[in-house]
Amino acid sequence: MASSSSTYNPPCAACKFLRRKCTAGCIFSGYFPPEEPQKFANVHKIFGASNVAKLLNDLLPHQRDDAVQSLAYEAEARVRDPVYGCVGAISFLQRQVDRLQKELDAANADLIRLAAASSPSVHMPPPPPHQRPAEFGRRFGNDGGGGGRFYQTPGYQITYNASPWADIYNPHGGGFDGNI
Amino acid sequence: MTIKSGTGQACAACKYQRRRCTPECLLAPFFPADQPKMFQNVHRLFGVKNIQNLLKELRPDQKVTAMKSIKFHALQRDKYPVHGCLFEIRHLNYQIQMAEDELQAVLQQLAYYRQQQQQQQQQQQQQQQQQQQIAATEDYMSELQLGVAPPRNAPFSLEDNNVVPQYNCVAPQASYSNSGNVDYSINYLDFKENNNVVNSFCEQQQHQQEQQQQTYSNSNDNNTSSMVVHPAHLIVPQALCVQQEIGQDYNEMHSFFDCVDDTQSYIGSKEACDSSLDSSPSKDTRQLVHEEMAENELKSAAAFFSLTSVN
Repeated sequence: MASSSSTYNPPCAACKFLRRKCTAGCIFSGYFPPEEPQKFANVHKIFGASNVAKLLNDLLPHQRDDAVQSLAYEAEARVRDPVYGCVGAISFLQRQVDRLQKELDAANADLIRLAAASSPSVHMPPPPPHQRPAEFGRRFGNDGGGGGRFYQTPGYQITYNASPWADIYNPHGGGFDGNI
Repeated sequence: MTIKSGTGQACAACKYQRRRCTPECLLAPFFPADQPKMFQNVHRLFGVKNIQNLLKELRPDQKVTAMKSIKFHALQRDKYPVHGCLFEIRHLNYQIQMAEDELQAVLQQLAYYRQQQQQQQQQQQQQQQQQQQIAATEDYMSELQLGVAPPRNAPFSLEDNNVVPQYNCVAPQASYSNSGNVDYSINYLDFKENNNVVNSFCEQQQHQQEQQQQTYSNSNDNNTSSMVVHPAHLIVPQALCVQQEIGQDYNEMHSFFDCVDDTQSYIGSKEACDSSLDSSPSKDTRQLVHEEMAENELKSAAAFFSLTSVN
């Protein structure tokens, strides 16, 4: 008489990759479904299973899903680009912000000049609304809820702030310009 | 107890691992001894073995760049344990979106101001053109009135919207002076169409004259002034109406004078005249009757003082 379990949980991708028994208390189950084996493979190759397990154990349950998603994204980026990884995307976005800021400054200068040249009787259109990144900070400000070292989200402003990546890569203050 | 390398102090990696830092240490160039926190972050996220595996696959010139990116990556993960580098990426995406929205708004405002400027320039040009046209028209009008400029051969143009009011006042006179018989014919046709209206107007004037018995001369003056006030296109038909009335009442006047006795006084003749005026003639016939009566009075007075005696 074979014992039949009422509920059968297939092993997670991590346990299948590591070839071990996937217990009920497996930290990876739920975050690495067996349908996505490549996801854990990348994470294991870059960070290692033990490091990921330690990182997930330090977080609250409601934070683990976001952490796994970010780790999977970073691992895949590093596999594709071993030199820059996801930092290449950050550098690209930083250059875009810088370019847009310069365009915005030039457009504002033109606007001020035209507004000063036009007559006072001309009806002034309402200025563009300045949206504050309050929602962005609130969305990603949950890092300070769990144990361990957690930091409050800094108050980012509309103006471009230099990322520490540039300082790390080039102590002289230059931009990210390295290519493979 | 860590064994120092030949060059000096052990690297942060070897110090953390508490092992001998050899000159062949791969991590020594990237993790100086005075920055232990940096290696701790990297070690916590990647691990020494994984770092070494990553560096083995790269060329020497790529190792420096790779290690810098790894250090930055570990620093971000240390700052944001949940999202890591993804926090910075999403923040930059948000900044880009905000900057693009603001840039679009500023460009819309710029387009608005440029459109305003164009409209102002167009209005100024239109005003200048209108002023030039008005000045040219005034010059022509002044020359026309002085008789310097020849009148226009074509009838007054209805297409000249700016000067239509002026030409409406001058048109009847111009039609008489030039070969613009078209205008006169138009006025004539208008008169013929409005003949019934004009005749009724003349009848109204005659009725008013019947009511003003005491102030006979004043009523004439009033009727005269009232006739002048009417619009210009009725002046010609009114004149014709007067002519017709005079012709129509001429026979009546003859019959009236037949019954007038020269020997009667002015007052008596006046009463007779008023009583017989069922369809009173116009002002001109009234003047004629008055003159007749005055003449009869003079004749009677002359007969009374005549040297020829009645006896």
